[in-house]
Amino acid sequence: MLTATDLSLRFGGLKALDRVSIEAPPGMVTGLIGPNGSGKSTLLNVIGGVYVPNGGEVTLNGAPLPLGRPDKVAQKGVGRTFQIPKLAQRLTVFQNMLAGEPDHCGERISNLFFRPGRVAHQERAAAERSTSILKRLGMVHKANDLAGSLSGGQRKLLTMGMLLMADPAVMLLDEPAAGVNPVLIEQQVAFLKTLRDEGRIVILIEHNMDMIANVCDRVYVLDAGSVIASGTPAEIRSNETVIRSYLGQPAEAEDEP
Amino acid sequence: MIDFVIYSVTVIAIWSVLALSLNLQFGMTGLVNFGQILPFAIGSYAAGIAASFGYPWWIGVIGGLLFAPLLSLAVILPAQRLSQDYWALITLGAAEIFRLTMLNTPSLAGGADGLNVPRFGSPVLALCIALALLVVSFFFAERVSRSPFGRMLRVIREDEVLASTLGRNPIRYQASVSVAAWMMAAAAGITYGHFSGYVAPTSFTVTETFIIWTAVIVGGPGRNIGVVIGAAVIQLLGVSSRFVAQWVDLPSDLIANLRLAAFGLILVLMFIYRPQGLIAEKREAHNVDRD
Repeated sequence: MLTATDLSLRFGGLKALDRVSIEAPPGMVTGLIGPNGSGKSTLLNVIGGVYVPNGGEVTLNGAPLPLGRPDKVAQKGVGRTFQIPKLAQRLTVFQNMLAGEPDHCGERISNLFFRPGRVAHQERAAAERSTSILKRLGMVHKANDLAGSLSGGQRKLLTMGMLLMADPAVMLLDEPAAGVNPVLIEQQVAFLKTLRDEGRIVILIEHNMDMIANVCDRVYVLDAGSVIASGTPAEIRSNETVIRSYLGQPAEAEDEP
Repeated sequence: MIDFVIYSVTVIAIWSVLALSLNLQFGMTGLVNFGQILPFAIGSYAAGIAASFGYPWWIGVIGGLLFAPLLSLAVILPAQRLSQDYWALITLGAAEIFRLTMLNTPSLAGGADGLNVPRFGSPVLALCIALALLVVSFFFAERVSRSPFGRMLRVIREDEVLASTLGRNPIRYQASVSVAAWMMAAAAGITYGHFSGYVAPTSFTVTETFIIWTAVIVGGPGRNIGVVIGAAVIQLLGVSSRFVAQWVDLPSDLIANLRLAAFGLILVLMFIYRPQGLIAEKREAHNVDRD
């Protein structure tokens, strides 16, 4: 169980997060929705250790996650993707995948010279895993292309692949379906269900309401840095507050506060 | 003529090691070190100071190889929360502070007069040592470049936040690569001290850092063989300008300044027309089983 309790974050005078609490149990997909600027990505950034909150805490299975240290959070088994995919653009797809290998002994200079056999062994194992993940994602034919040459949808797939290399217990996914073609979205929905069934904790930010309804077990709605509603996708769809602030309302009422 | 060739190749070898060192930092890791001459100066001064106090040469070697990496940590660790722009300023400042300190401590470092360093027994010995250092440095840099460590350095170069979300602490990688690269540059400095027989603050100005940068940019940032070729091209241009000075009837100080202007022009042209350098960074291809 990943629990965020009373997270607050201010950027100057702006309250990006105002005492936000969420719970994400394993074996479920927890959705975060809300209008642009409502604090969804900021929340993932705080959980992922990129931003240090002004207050509140995040725990994973009862143990507090380090705040403001993305590397330590990742080492605790929390993986994430970004809304704008982060990739090493001038490295190939395959090298990006290999960079996802956790605890690579070949990333210590001394091992390169004194334990070359062990380094080569782990590198081979990582290459095999990368290949099988790329096959699963249907990207194996792109293995030696530069990551910077990929299309938007392929980039999202690649970041997902890098995440799978680390095999994290918690996955924070920021709009994996935005800008992805409908066929790939189908594939991603099936994929998210697999991740869920493997017993992972998945937190998903998405604007695609069909996808949210299809895969999420519980949804939190954020607006202006606060959680304004939570519940099953069906409950959320009929919630008056959510309809007013996010899902939409009759056009003539749009200018009302 | 043969003496001149030996001299030139020795100089090229020493500067190639400096270029390889900067390539580890900038080409692979993206660390903008505008004080690359600093570890080189530390090495040279270690040789000079050891000699002036009457210690044997290996004391200078050990001193240089220990002090340069320690100073790299002293420079990089306080800078870890700052962005890369500040890294450039801090290294630039550190190199100047060191040079001015040497200039103003005559009792230790000879001040503006510099220090005498015992020369190598013969120019051929100097050549052999410089070439041996180049070969070792080159293979070290190649091993790093093709390794998982080198791959993560490049990930850090492209996006530090990405590296940290992959569970890596960028500063650990930046610190390791700086320690290795500064030791390499210090070794070049020690060799240079014993080769030239003399160290003085004028040898370690910002201009020298700029020349190492030109070599790396011209050769191809991220590619070891490229930056060695870059260093060779720049040094050959440097020594050949002396011949130009003999042919055309211009004062030698003007030629020296024109040489710098020429390097600047080369740098600008490279940035515009061939930013990847003469020999571009290689795309590591993997044999991926597609079935």
